Amino acid sequence: MNRLELAIGAVLRFGSVASTSLLAIGLLMTLTGYRAGLARMLLEAGLVILISTPAARVVVSVIEYVRERDWTFVALTLVVLAALAGSVAAAYL
Amino acid sequence: MATGDSGGVLWERLVSLRTSPAALVPVSGCWVRAITNHTVAVIARTFFWGSEASGGSIGAVALNPLNNLDPGLALVIFGAGVTAGALGVALGLGGGIFLVPFLTLALGFPLKSAAAISLSTVIATSSAVSARRAGNQLINLRLGMVLEVATTAGSLLGGITAQFVAETTLQRLFGIVATIVAFVMIGRINRRNVIVDPAADPGRLGGRFHEGESGGVVTYRIRRLPLALAASFIAGNVSSLLGIGGGIIKVPVLNAWCGMPLRAAAATSALMIGVTATGGAVIYYGHGDLRPLLAAPAVLGVQLGSWGGSRFAETASVKWLKLLMAALLMIVAVLMFVRSAR
Repeated sequence: MNRLELAIGAVLRFGSVASTSLLAIGLLMTLTGYRAGLARMLLEAGLVILISTPAARVVVSVIEYVRERDWTFVALTLVVLAALAGSVAAAYL
Repeated sequence: MATGDSGGVLWERLVSLRTSPAALVPVSGCWVRAITNHTVAVIARTFFWGSEASGGSIGAVALNPLNNLDPGLALVIFGAGVTAGALGVALGLGGGIFLVPFLTLALGFPLKSAAAISLSTVIATSSAVSARRAGNQLINLRLGMVLEVATTAGSLLGGITAQFVAETTLQRLFGIVATIVAFVMIGRINRRNVIVDPAADPGRLGGRFHEGESGGVVTYRIRRLPLALAASFIAGNVSSLLGIGGGIIKVPVLNAWCGMPLRAAAATSALMIGVTATGGAVIYYGHGDLRPLLAAPAVLGVQLGSWGGSRFAETASVKWLKLLMAALLMIVAVLMFVRSAR
């Protein structure tokens, strides 16, 4: 079994669990009216973690391909990252 | 909104929630009534919206009053997420193709907001499902990385165009895609996995995985890579514009023309749609169309639905499920076309 697959699995598992828990706690707090400001921050953080999890997975892939000296795939994954960076630019510029 | 005030009123109230989430707190504490109001309003909007007078006024009466209907809305969105997630797993799709029409047609959300919410559920499903699958070699990482170049380029382009395209155009596009998906579903109703010669050389982009049912090792080669890239680009584009994962476009192409076994194609696509959806979701988020308060119940619902659905997926009669869904999608397509023409 290869290292990259395990690393990706770990990143996705962490992002998935962290974002789901933050969203669940934030939503419950909002619905019960308990500390609305904090609830909003938790929801926002949950959403940001959710959205950045796949990007983090691509970053891990780049690192692992560099380690394997597989330059074709380093280039390909960097292009994917560049496209995601393009989305961030399109969102805020 | 062209179809009466209720959607617009509801939507404006929701927009105000971003500035004051405390508005969600029930004033009188009567959640049961709030939920009932919502259910009535949703049914009314879904079935009567065609006639301005009846649909509009029923919806407006039920949706308008008081702050205490908002927990009900959260519950309705959560319930829609559970249903979409469960159906999605049973059919091997993301739930987006069902969630987006529900949010726009029944709750009156603008398509952009519905797409943004749906994209966040796509990311959640992709991460959760792929985390579970990582390590069993079903996901073809190398092919996934290659095709992701095309899907992210497509989703970047789609996310940018979505900001300039009119609501009616998006509705028509959704109608067209829903129609195509319905026909693909009917066409593949009896389709089974392709079995490939286990001695074959998988090549640079092919793969090899352990087939659970037969106990053997399946090996496959990837053919027609340019076609797979083109399909991925279109899938990424449509994904951002309409808030669906895009697996419905990639998986049949990879399976039918590129030599990939269905299970491997679905697993690889499930991994890819996370990155694809991120490309679109970031743009919606930056433009303020992705509201955490609305995305949260949808994401949690879809997570629960897909987790529960995967337990029942094997026992359900997929053939009849596919027929039912194809019929449902045709109805969705007609509703989208009718609405875009108004």
